[in-house]
Amino acid sequence: MTTPHHFPSDSDSLEGRVFRPATVLELREAVEQAFDYRGDVLLELSSGKRVEGYVSNRDAQAVEPFLEMFPKDEPGIHIIRFADITAISFTGKDTASGKSWEAWVMKKEAQRWAEAEQASNDARARGHL
Amino acid sequence: MAVPVSQMYTVASYVLAQKMRRVKRYPLVLMLEPLFRCNLACAGCGKIQYPDHILDKRLTPEQCWTAADECGAPMVSIPGGEPLIHPEMAEIVRGLVQRRKYIYLCTNAILLERKLDEYTPSKYLTFSIHMDGLQEEHDHAVCRDGVYDVAVKAIQAALKRGFRVTTNTTLFDDADPRRVRAFFDSMMQLGVEGMMISPGYSYQKAPDQKNFLKRGRTQQLFARILEDRKRSWRFNQSPLFLDFLMGKREYQCTPWGNPTYNIFGWQKPCYLLQEGYVKTFQELLESTNWDGYGTGRNEKCADCMVHCGYEPSAVSDTFGSWSGFGRTVRLTLTPNGR
Repeated sequence: MTTPHHFPSDSDSLEGRVFRPATVLELREAVEQAFDYRGDVLLELSSGKRVEGYVSNRDAQAVEPFLEMFPKDEPGIHIIRFADITAISFTGKDTASGKSWEAWVMKKEAQRWAEAEQASNDARARGHL
Repeated sequence: MAVPVSQMYTVASYVLAQKMRRVKRYPLVLMLEPLFRCNLACAGCGKIQYPDHILDKRLTPEQCWTAADECGAPMVSIPGGEPLIHPEMAEIVRGLVQRRKYIYLCTNAILLERKLDEYTPSKYLTFSIHMDGLQEEHDHAVCRDGVYDVAVKAIQAALKRGFRVTTNTTLFDDADPRRVRAFFDSMMQLGVEGMMISPGYSYQKAPDQKNFLKRGRTQQLFARILEDRKRSWRFNQSPLFLDFLMGKREYQCTPWGNPTYNIFGWQKPCYLLQEGYVKTFQELLESTNWDGYGTGRNEKCADCMVHCGYEPSAVSDTFGSWSGFGRTVRLTLTPNGR
């Protein structure tokens, strides 16, 4: 069953943007955007470390607010305190951009089938077809 | 009857036990998502929109069984992604069958014929085949030619081997009621046990709040599809839910009725919205602000009429009073009678 999600339009997408929060409120908003984002983000931490991956969860109401991230190139999950984050870059492809039912209907036929063909080739390459 | 008597008895006795114990919030169907990887890219599907390293993650059989034990729901729906891609799916199913869970394995059927030997027919296992309409509509919805024919062939193969088979169909406002009714005829002629239908869900950041116009259009569509129902059509859903889709009955959403568990954890608040994750089912029940969701309570819920939130409401209505039970029996026996 198809389960649509809220999809940003291409113009709404955060792909490529960088946030350097200056206040606690800005930080919380930036983390919320990272959680909603359907792609990987790069976090710069106060320790100097940089970690890229998918933000799968966040708890801004915890005594020590934190987020959970699946790193891109390692197994496991990182738990990172909001307080340690100095910047959030939306580095990964926004996999949801332009993918809503409405956006799909508006696309030209040729574009739709080109995208479908690419998805089919990807699945075939993985042996899933 | 679409649903076997043993399943009806199991669900009925479970729901009645919850009501007798005055349990306010209980799960009916566990939505178990063991992976998000799919071999299709259906129009509008939000479940597969993740980076590759996330799409490559899988729940283990042990994680799946633990979730089922923790939740306690009598039924388990396994959507995805495409569940048959999971290399241990047959083992997951075996473990759930041992736990006497009624399983709906939701699949696009592309891999079904190839994988059938890994499964054993059981009253506990149903292959729920994603079919969004007749050939033209379905292939269009899944963005690939030929999928309808593959699915039909797989349905026939599974039925021949003695498996329970149903279909699940998502309909958007542009669906042609006459074509949908013809689709129902086709599926019944194929011999499927029952059909499940649901409107598609879409959430706009600035939804049309004027009289829930989109919801109204959804009700009009389903009214046209389901009025003057044929006796040969068997729906794997509560007749009260079908009435709700047609706009003849109002329900508030029951988001805890179909809790969702996937690689991120237990999903708050429901199958469609992803507003956070917790580690345990109990934490899901206790920490979610349930009153903040539902019709008229949240802009994201304004147009939603999807089965995962409202079918549990209908089931609760059936077993909540003698009149609810009576309505259900009457609509089951005479779906067109008023």
